[in-house]
Amino acid sequence: MIDFPSKQRPFTLLTIVILLQVLLLAFQIKRERDVRLVRVWAAEIFTPVQRVATWILSGVGGSWHNYIGLRHMRQENDQLHAEVDRLQLRNRELESRAMEGDRLAALLHFRDSHTDAPMLFAQVIGASADSTSRIVFINHGERDHLKRNLAVITPDGVVGKIVEVTSNSAQVLLITDKDSGVGALFSETRTQGVVKGTGEPQLRMDYVVNEEKVHAGEAIVTSGEDRIFPKDLPLATVTAARPGNPFQKIDVKPVARLDRLEEVIVLLSQQDISLKPTPDEAASTPDVSIVPAKQPATTAPAASKP
Amino acid sequence: MSSRAQAEQHIEVHKFYGGAMALAAFLALFLQAFLNKYGSWAAMLELPLLITIYFSVSRRSPAIGLLLGAMVGILQDAVSHMPIGFYGIAKTLVGYVASSFGARIDTEHPLSRFGLVVAFFFFHQAVLTILNRLILGRPGSYFSWRLLIASIVNAGVAMFLFPALDRLRKPHG
Repeated sequence: MIDFPSKQRPFTLLTIVILLQVLLLAFQIKRERDVRLVRVWAAEIFTPVQRVATWILSGVGGSWHNYIGLRHMRQENDQLHAEVDRLQLRNRELESRAMEGDRLAALLHFRDSHTDAPMLFAQVIGASADSTSRIVFINHGERDHLKRNLAVITPDGVVGKIVEVTSNSAQVLLITDKDSGVGALFSETRTQGVVKGTGEPQLRMDYVVNEEKVHAGEAIVTSGEDRIFPKDLPLATVTAARPGNPFQKIDVKPVARLDRLEEVIVLLSQQDISLKPTPDEAASTPDVSIVPAKQPATTAPAASKP
Repeated sequence: MSSRAQAEQHIEVHKFYGGAMALAAFLALFLQAFLNKYGSWAAMLELPLLITIYFSVSRRSPAIGLLLGAMVGILQDAVSHMPIGFYGIAKTLVGYVASSFGARIDTEHPLSRFGLVVAFFFFHQAVLTILNRLILGRPGSYFSWRLLIASIVNAGVAMFLFPALDRLRKPHG
């Protein structure tokens, strides 16, 4: 009795006919606000699809936008880094110029304060290629009447002496060089000695007997006994002192900033000058204190390398 | 010979004289509209449904059944106040299912015809209710005593109508 003929084709036809009629109904029937049912269905069918599509597109668009933004941000970041580097370089240049201005102002002030003392301003143009020696080159030479054994100072203190001269430049042996020696004395006790270089930033003061009371921070000035440096130029300060045999071992530190030399003063004579007069001296005496050079004492220890 | 062909040998497909189905459908629609003017009792009758059931079951072809149902239903919609497709969908489904049943069980016996009409009346009513609720947004019931009575009335009418329609069949030869 029961048979199962193929229903595939009729079922397709059924589906089509039903769908057509459903669509026919949807076109005729109106819902709230006089909206046709087909529009309601279309909206209900397409709205979620559109929402999903919009969500996907917005996600993709957002990702793309973020990607582009990140790319732009990276470019901007690179540009900003480059700008920061450029500004830092510019800042360093300006700082350098400001410092140079300060130094030149100090030198100018120094020259104004010592108008009677013959001196020459020079720029440090180089340093020794030998790491064991402490030598710098300055941009003046024989043409500017420079010669060996002229003192080189800064407004802060003693730098060294000229050891070689060419027509346009001169070689300055810094007081930190191992071959350097400067006649010195303690500014308070007036005890004499010799400040020698060690090849290191620190100096050493020799020929001070153990009985002499030396304390850290004590100022050391030139004694003028070496016939190179005028007397009482600031030279160094004591950092440490301990008994030795036969003399004390006194470590001292130069007052001039020898590691940052750019402009120096070459003293063309051994006239005594006061680099930093005290406020009292400044009030009672003229800015420039120039006195005749003293004769070197024959009894003083050999201070400077010939 | 394929199993399908073997199976189809047991199916008795009835053919009708030319225009019989169309004429019967037209008359059913006309009578339905005509009788509805004379009282609410006539509203219980579903002559287009009975015509759809009869010809679908007799032809035993789902394609013919669903197309006949669609045509009758759409025409019924056309002469009623319902939107086109309302009865069309219901009778399309009835025609399709009835022709499927007709291809599987004996639909010639009066009792089976009575049962088929009652079942398809409720099936037809269920589809209308679904369409009412889903598409028209109207309330509708799948079962009520009035529907039960209507189904029995239609089945009773079918007991007379179907044999009358049997006369439109072409004799086997």
